[in-house]
Amino acid sequence: MSDKETLNIKCEVALTRAEVKALLDRIAHPRCRMFVEEIIALIDDISWGRAELKHMDALRKLARTIVDEGECDECIRAGMKVLDALDQFAEVFISHIETRNCPTADCTKLAPSPCQMACPAGLDIPSYVTLIGMGHDEEAIEIIREDNPFPWVCGLVCTHPCEFVCVRGRIDTPIAIRDLKGFAAERVMAKGGYKNPPKAPPKGKKVAIIGAGPAGLTAAYYLALKGYDVTVIDALPVAGGMMMVGIPRYRLPREVIDREVDMIRELGVEFRLNTRLGRDITIEDLKDQGFEAILIAIGAHSSYKLNIPGEDDYPQVISAIDFLRRVALGERIKPGRKVAIIGGGNVAIDAARTCIRLGCEKVTMVYRRSRAEMPAHEEEVLQAEEEGVDFLFLTIPVEVRGSGGRVESLRCVRTVLGPPDEKGRRQPIPVEGSEYDLPVDCVITAIGQVVNKEGLTELPDLKWSRRGTIQVNTVTMETSITGVFAAGDVVTGPATVIEAIGAGKRAAEAIDRYLQGLPQPKRPPVPVRRRQLPFLRTTANQKMRLQRPKMPLLNCDRRRITFQQVELGFAEEDARREAYRCLRCDVCRRCGKCVEVCRDRMKVDALPFGHFDFDHPVETDFRKVAEKCILCGSCAYNCPNDAMQVEEVNGERILSICGTELNRLKLEYCSECGAPIGPERYHDFIFKRLKDFIDVSPNVKLCIDCARKKSAKKQDETMPPVM
Amino acid sequence: MSQYYLMQDAKRCIACRACEVVCKINKGLPKGPKPCEVVIVGPKFISGLPKAFFKFMPCFHCEKPWCIAACPTGAMQKRDDGIVYVDETLCVGCKACMSACPWGVPQWNAEKRKVVKCDYCMDRVDKGLLPACVTICVTKCLYFGKADEIPSVRRERAARTTAYFE
Repeated sequence: MSDKETLNIKCEVALTRAEVKALLDRIAHPRCRMFVEEIIALIDDISWGRAELKHMDALRKLARTIVDEGECDECIRAGMKVLDALDQFAEVFISHIETRNCPTADCTKLAPSPCQMACPAGLDIPSYVTLIGMGHDEEAIEIIREDNPFPWVCGLVCTHPCEFVCVRGRIDTPIAIRDLKGFAAERVMAKGGYKNPPKAPPKGKKVAIIGAGPAGLTAAYYLALKGYDVTVIDALPVAGGMMMVGIPRYRLPREVIDREVDMIRELGVEFRLNTRLGRDITIEDLKDQGFEAILIAIGAHSSYKLNIPGEDDYPQVISAIDFLRRVALGERIKPGRKVAIIGGGNVAIDAARTCIRLGCEKVTMVYRRSRAEMPAHEEEVLQAEEEGVDFLFLTIPVEVRGSGGRVESLRCVRTVLGPPDEKGRRQPIPVEGSEYDLPVDCVITAIGQVVNKEGLTELPDLKWSRRGTIQVNTVTMETSITGVFAAGDVVTGPATVIEAIGAGKRAAEAIDRYLQGLPQPKRPPVPVRRRQLPFLRTTANQKMRLQRPKMPLLNCDRRRITFQQVELGFAEEDARREAYRCLRCDVCRRCGKCVEVCRDRMKVDALPFGHFDFDHPVETDFRKVAEKCILCGSCAYNCPNDAMQVEEVNGERILSICGTELNRLKLEYCSECGAPIGPERYHDFIFKRLKDFIDVSPNVKLCIDCARKKSAKKQDETMPPVM
Repeated sequence: MSQYYLMQDAKRCIACRACEVVCKINKGLPKGPKPCEVVIVGPKFISGLPKAFFKFMPCFHCEKPWCIAACPTGAMQKRDDGIVYVDETLCVGCKACMSACPWGVPQWNAEKRKVVKCDYCMDRVDKGLLPACVTICVTKCLYFGKADEIPSVRRERAARTTAYFE
């Protein structure tokens, strides 16, 4: 193998294999060959996801034997190479064994699916979507809960970064991954099917987690499963953090959080609510109480200020975070009759829609850029609009005006968008002389949150980033203080539930290693491929025709007066069918080998798989395969992952990709023995190429065995008798 | 036809199939494909006695090979000395050659997902060695060489059996 070929391999496992293979080709001694072939077989096990941790020792032992007993330079070099790789990249080898996932996709069989790689918590999406398609909701939730203790919460409010990379989105629309998860979680919870995995035996060590939000609770879940005594401390009277006091009930009913938190409580996690760090308890107290590791996951609960005149002069100027918290904790009083919400993010939308529900007459969102730049999610903006929220784009508030301690209006100025800055964002530029007054009696600011450092000032050694968040090692979530870890918004600044869950999981892993005295990982964790499930069988027609179902919504009048859940969830039939749209990217890695073989080598060009090309997707239509396909099967024989399969069933040859049937033709049979020999169209293709030799396609068609027998017999007949 | 000729003296063949076995070993083949095969024709009665005919069936390395015409990828090729062989790097496994060959010579290697066929062990021939099947044949009934160097055993035997001494 030339250096050029190995240069393109980024995975250390695949690289080691390639280098050893190159050496094998130069080894002649049979004993050395045998050794090196065994080495390659062991590495193959690892890079094909069928190895166990024992393989590491076996590989090391074998490599050492080769170095000691090898009889030629090449095989000794191969042994050294393996020993070197095992020393330097043990982590990568072990990750392949434990996760059955190769993030570089160089180990073909372990190529990751884009959705799983995009998920901050690394959920095995293709597996649970397939399970939901099969109707095995309980198993689906079990798989999700191995990576995420909050499938139901995420099924309702996740920002679903997975759907943005979904390959199906290149064909039509992405799979409704989030809604499928919500569907399965609701059904399983309703039937009492949520089960915690078995707990490890108690380790006798105590961990304190400050903050009962998604990051803290996730860490609590995994640490409790590992056998630690976990205590979660929170300043609020309820567990759930921002999920409870940041996300309004019409998006995430309280019962959803309560039930999933209860699963964590069932593992023996102790909750100390109404306990604020710095006021009711200090880090020192916790250490005195015998907690050996502490995780800070207090979130980002303070708001940025507008810094405009009048902001601090009136009690009717409030932050969205405070407002949402008060409403979540039960205070259902409308903040004013005419409310202005400043900001264009999801929190601003949440505040606006909450105002509508509390009975505010006029709710106006004031955003300094235009609609296209709004960071809020499209569907939520649409829902807010339906509920009657007004939008003022390209507008900056410059002063809060009022009299007698009451807000009377918000002075605004119009803006235009300037050229994009280095980050690609167009900065709004105020237009001179365009000031005007918006009559309001309440202003809610939602222009971003920051960490409230109040309780953490007692830790002088704690390092902070320039953004006012705690500085950590992003792989292990360790802070600058030994034994103190941090995760969630307090590290990232305001982010999403799923990012907090991912960070909580990483922190739990690191705390476990810290308490056991194990070395910390050097690279970020690789998502675990939980299993490789059989395909859902469907036709090309159905695969293309099925459309992402519309989420049924509560009627608009009721949305304006109650906090009832707006999204009502998929009907069962819709959910099951939606799973059938999944392209199973955990198996089909879109390498394009099938297309290359069919188009460039066979010159048949039957596979319109435009979605393979990420940058320039052209048309994909599974239905069109049958137009030109001759069913030769070359695409299937060249598929490195067996995503493409050709099989002969009930007198037909069938070609499928990840369970989607692409072509099906009747077989012809050997006229002697009756063995199937392929469809007519395939034979026509061959006879067309043989037209210089054969005038008409022969009516006698033989399998290769009969052809051989028949020609042997013919020779016998033409030979003179031998006596 | 190729410059070479692989001749079988069927009278001496006992169908032990050592040629088939060594061929597969030499090419490292899994279960299934047999680049050469001893086909048993018969038994049938000749002069009142049951006789079977053991016919060795390698590739004939045709002058105008249909397999080459059928191959869409150019994997099936013919060397200057006439040996017809498969370039494995080009074969995509469409099996067109297998359908086209009237003698059932190209075989399917399911492990490699490519076609394999008798190439007179051209790597051995190029080194001055004989094809594997010829080397192993226990009854020495296989002869390999340039077409004009082939011994005339059959002609001699035919002469012997037809001649008679008074």
